[in-house]
Parts: sequence; C-alpha cells; structure tokens
Amino acid sequence: MSLTIERLNFRYPGTDIGVHDINLSIGHGELLAVIGSSGSGKTTLLKLIAGFETADNGRVFIDGEDITRLPVRHRRLGIVFQSYALFPHMTAWENVAYPLKLRKRGQRERRDKAFEALARVGLAGFEDRRPPILSGGQQQRVALARALVFAPKILLLDEPLSALDASLRGEMRDEILRLQREFDIATIHVTHDQEEALSMADRVAVMESGRLVQVATPLELYDNPATRSVAGFVGESNLWDGAVVSEDTVEVAFGLLKTEPHGFGIGRRVTVMVRPENVRIGGGEDGCNHFHGTVVRDRFFGATRRYDLAVGAGIILGQTGQRRPIESVKICPKDVRLLES
Amino acid sequence: MEKNQYLCNSACYKLNWLVYEAPIMGFATLLYLTYLFIPILLLILGSFGQTWTNTLFPSGVTLGWYHELWTDGSFRRAFLVSMEVVTGTCVFCSLLAVPLAYSLYRSASKRVMVAARIVFLLPIAAPPLVLAFGFILVFTSDAAPWLGSVWLLVAGHVVLTLPYLLQTLVSDMRHLGLEELEAAAESLGAGFGRRFRDIVLPLLRHSLGSGLIMVAALSIGEFQLSNLIAGFLYRPYPVVLLQAFYGATGFACAATVILLALALLASAGGALMARFASR
Repeated sequence: MSLTIERLNFRYPGTDIGVHDINLSIGHGELLAVIGSSGSGKTTLLKLIAGFETADNGRVFIDGEDITRLPVRHRRLGIVFQSYALFPHMTAWENVAYPLKLRKRGQRERRDKAFEALARVGLAGFEDRRPPILSGGQQQRVALARALVFAPKILLLDEPLSALDASLRGEMRDEILRLQREFDIATIHVTHDQEEALSMADRVAVMESGRLVQVATPLELYDNPATRSVAGFVGESNLWDGAVVSEDTVEVAFGLLKTEPHGFGIGRRVTVMVRPENVRIGGGEDGCNHFHGTVVRDRFFGATRRYDLAVGAGIILGQTGQRRPIESVKICPKDVRLLES
Repeated sequence: MEKNQYLCNSACYKLNWLVYEAPIMGFATLLYLTYLFIPILLLILGSFGQTWTNTLFPSGVTLGWYHELWTDGSFRRAFLVSMEVVTGTCVFCSLLAVPLAYSLYRSASKRVMVAARIVFLLPIAAPPLVLAFGFILVFTSDAAPWLGSVWLLVAGHVVLTLPYLLQTLVSDMRHLGLEELEAAAESLGAGFGRRFRDIVLPLLRHSLGSGLIMVAALSIGEFQLSNLIAGFLYRPYPVVLLQAFYGATGFACAATVILLALALLASAGGALMARFASR
C-alpha cells in the first residue's frame, strides 16, 4: 500500500507552530525516515497521518483513498509509540491480541496469531509476561508485534529507539528493518537521530520549521544537501561563508578554495561545504587545495580521529584514521560543495 | 593516607548516626506512636472495664457494655444507617468520580482546570458546617423537603468525600500516561466505549480501591454535617455515639470501639467493592 500527502497544512490553535504545505509520497514497501530537530514538525506530521490531529487543509491518501477526515480507529495504521504504550494490565500476548479482539476474532485465533507474531519478533516464551517486567528491547518488540499483527496498511514509528540504551539501539535498528522488509509494508519512521535515518531508510525527509526542506536517498542527502541547515543537521561538516571569485574558485576566511565549475555568479555569497572525511592529511602537487596550520583540538574516537586545524582566521574540521602529527591538509575541488547562503 | 582519611570519615559518620541520630529518631517515632495508640488502647481497656472513675485504669472485667450496646435499639439502628450511608457514598462516588476525573484529565481547557482546582479545595474552603447550613436551607423547603432522609445524608457525604477520590484518580491517570495508552488503543481500532472499558477502568482499579478506602473511612466517621442534617429516624452512628458520653464511661468506650471497628470494616468493604467492580 502507498501513502500520498498533498498540500497538507496544520497550525496549533493560537500559534504559528505546525506543518506547512507538505507534499510527500511513500511507495509500497518503502521506508521513509522523517528527521529534523526538536520542534521541526516531524511528530505533528505523524499525528496528522495517524489522525490524532486534523489538517486545516490538504489531503492524505492511502492507496488513492482519502483518509484525511477518517477517525484514527478506522485508518488501520500500525503505530509504534515512543514510550511503546503497552497496556500494563495485559500480558505480552494479550497486548498483541488486542487489535484482533477489537476485530472480533475468536479466542483461539487471537491467541494463535499473537503467539505467532511474538515468535516472529523473537519473543517466543515471553507470551505470559506483563510489560513492566520486560526489558526495553523486549517491550519494543511487543509493540512492533502489536502494530503488525492486524496487517495494517502503513506502519508509523514515532522515535521507537530513543528510549533504548545505545548498545540495544543497533540491534533493534536491524530488527525493525528486518520486520519491515518481511512484512513488505510502507513505513514512516520519525526520528531525531540522523545516523538512524541514514542507515535504515530508503529515503529521508528533512523537516525544518514545519516545512519539508529535502526528500532524498541517504546518499544524495549526505553528498548534496539542499541547504546549509540540512548540511549541518545531516552528518558533520565544515560550513564556511564564502564569496564566488571565479567560475571554479571561492574565497573563504582562510584563503582561496578551488572548486569544480559551480554555476554561481561572481561576487555571490555562498556557503562552502566540505565533509571532514574529505579533508586529507599531507601536501603534494595534485590539483587540490593545500593549507598549513596548527591543530587546536584533537578528539580520539577509536577507529577515527577528528581534529580542528586553525588556518589563518578559519578552522578546518578534519577526520582521519592516521595517528601522526598534522601540519598540513588538502581539500580536492571535487569534494567542495557550494550551497545557497 | 587520603583513602584512610576517607574511611575514617565514613566510619565516623556511621558512628555519629548510631550514637546520636538513630536514638533520637527512634525516640521521636515511639513518642508519636504512643500518642497515637494510647487513646485507642485506653478506649479498648475502658470498654471491658466494670467501673472507671477518677483512676488511671478501669477496674474489673466485663462484656456487659457490649451486650448493652447490642441490645440498645438506637445504636443498632444507627449502625445499619451508617452502613447504608457508607455503601451509598462509595457507590455514588465511584459512579461520579471516574467519568469526572477522566473529563478533568482529558480537558485541555484552562477554565476546566481552574474549576477542578476549586472542587479539589472545596472540603478545605467550605467546612462541613457551612455545607450543613446550606443543606438545611435548601432541603427544608416545600420544593425539596428531604432533610432527615438517608439519601440526603449520602448526598452530603458524597459532596464531602468526592474531591479526595477525584484527586487520587486524576493523579493516577497522570502517572499512568493514560492519554498515550488510549491513543495506542484507538490506533488499534478501539472506540471510546471499548477504550474506557478495556483500558481506563482496569488501569484505575488500584487508585479507585485506595480512594474508596479513604471515602469509606471519612464517611463512617463524619459527624459535623450528619449531626445537623440527620433526622430522628436516620441518625448515623457517630451522631448517636455523642449520647453515649452522657452515660457510663464503659458504655461510651464500647460504642467508640465499635465505631473504630466500623471504620476499618467500611474501609475493607470499599476496597473489596472497587476490586470487584474493576473485574
């Protein structure tokens, strides 16, 4: 099943906060991650799709059917809440069987299907336990089983990993992805964790002040962010203010930087973006931009090392796996991106 | 050297606590418990004592006062009236408090929240005496001549005890995060009725139970309002108990011990009823 959102607008009464002019479509079996900082409108968008809020205007379609005004309970959407929202007075299997009970399935069928769903999420043997005595990861799995057991049209995940320990997060990320592929269901995954979004999603939508600023594949988003704010939000990056001096050169605080032909007019103010992993150690005559400087901050992360190199009036953030002292770096033109300022 | 210094300090703190703080705290607790239980102990002793005049303890042992109480028609009747009033109060409080607390919890309106705060403060702001005079004025009129009926007693007790039950329920709803649980149920296909029956009521059973214990205990011991609005036919136990103090000390003690037992019984009954209702 697919989901289409057309010109969706919503404002919380008496404020300017909400979502504005959202156009989005998600194909069958696709996983779309919605990312953005706090207050960017990503949870509001999820609420509008789920039906917990009603749009001021615009429409939401599932497989061509307009569900904009349909009550939540008739939308048939599987939702995994941030806090899991498991019913504490029911056992794991009763939680999973609840949507089937609402659909008037027989006791035997409910029990069988709930047990089967729990087995699919790796919780066989935990059926009779109540949520308070399950671990965070196990509760997450019960919530997933409950959201999927009644064959929903779309799966909505509201920051499902944020309540988990960092060690469990990676495991659950793989588990969610496995289940999503297995059930072959269109999924919207709202998160503030860009690493989570990049590693799981087929496409990523970035939201800012209630608007969608870019929807792209993780690779496209990382390599060619549409705006300075997207570049700043998705991954680490050097973002320098610059001015175009020729068709393949920009001037930044610490000197001139050669780029590939960029198409911006001469004199234009731009944002220059270079990812830290594209700042390489060493010199040489290879057509790249070379800079000498002093390391003013050095952070060791195990496999990698991130450093700030002071060059004139500017700072270059670099990343390397090498441990030797750093005095000069090079940035090749193909790694320089110019963005609208 | 530094480590030894730390260990010494830690040990010193422990010693200080054992030598000074623990005995003081223990003594204060003992004093408080003595203050709390001595009147109850003396009442129990007095209820079994034959005579008790100008002495620290009563003399002689008898069950006569309880027998006299049992055979006294007015006390037996008051006992039954009190049980009726407590049961009625618990039932009406449950019926009113659950939907009211739910509406208060779900309401985003500031006005409703202010109204709720006023209701919560009502027992403090309006003492039972004030309420009783209001009841007398309203329910002696020809339009509503119900002063002295059991139903009016129940109504009065509901007004006095409802805020306590409401407060217990609303804070439990906040603690449970009921809103999100209901949103989850709704997304799974549950309409309002199903959510209320399957999620809200079962989750509130504990707070309803503890709240009803409080309601029952308050209702059974209520005197100020009951004394003014109860007629001669339907006087609850505390109102009749007042008469006992004009007679023999042993009889008054026995009557008070029965009130205490009645309060405990009512509390247990309230809790049992809530558990039964939540199944």
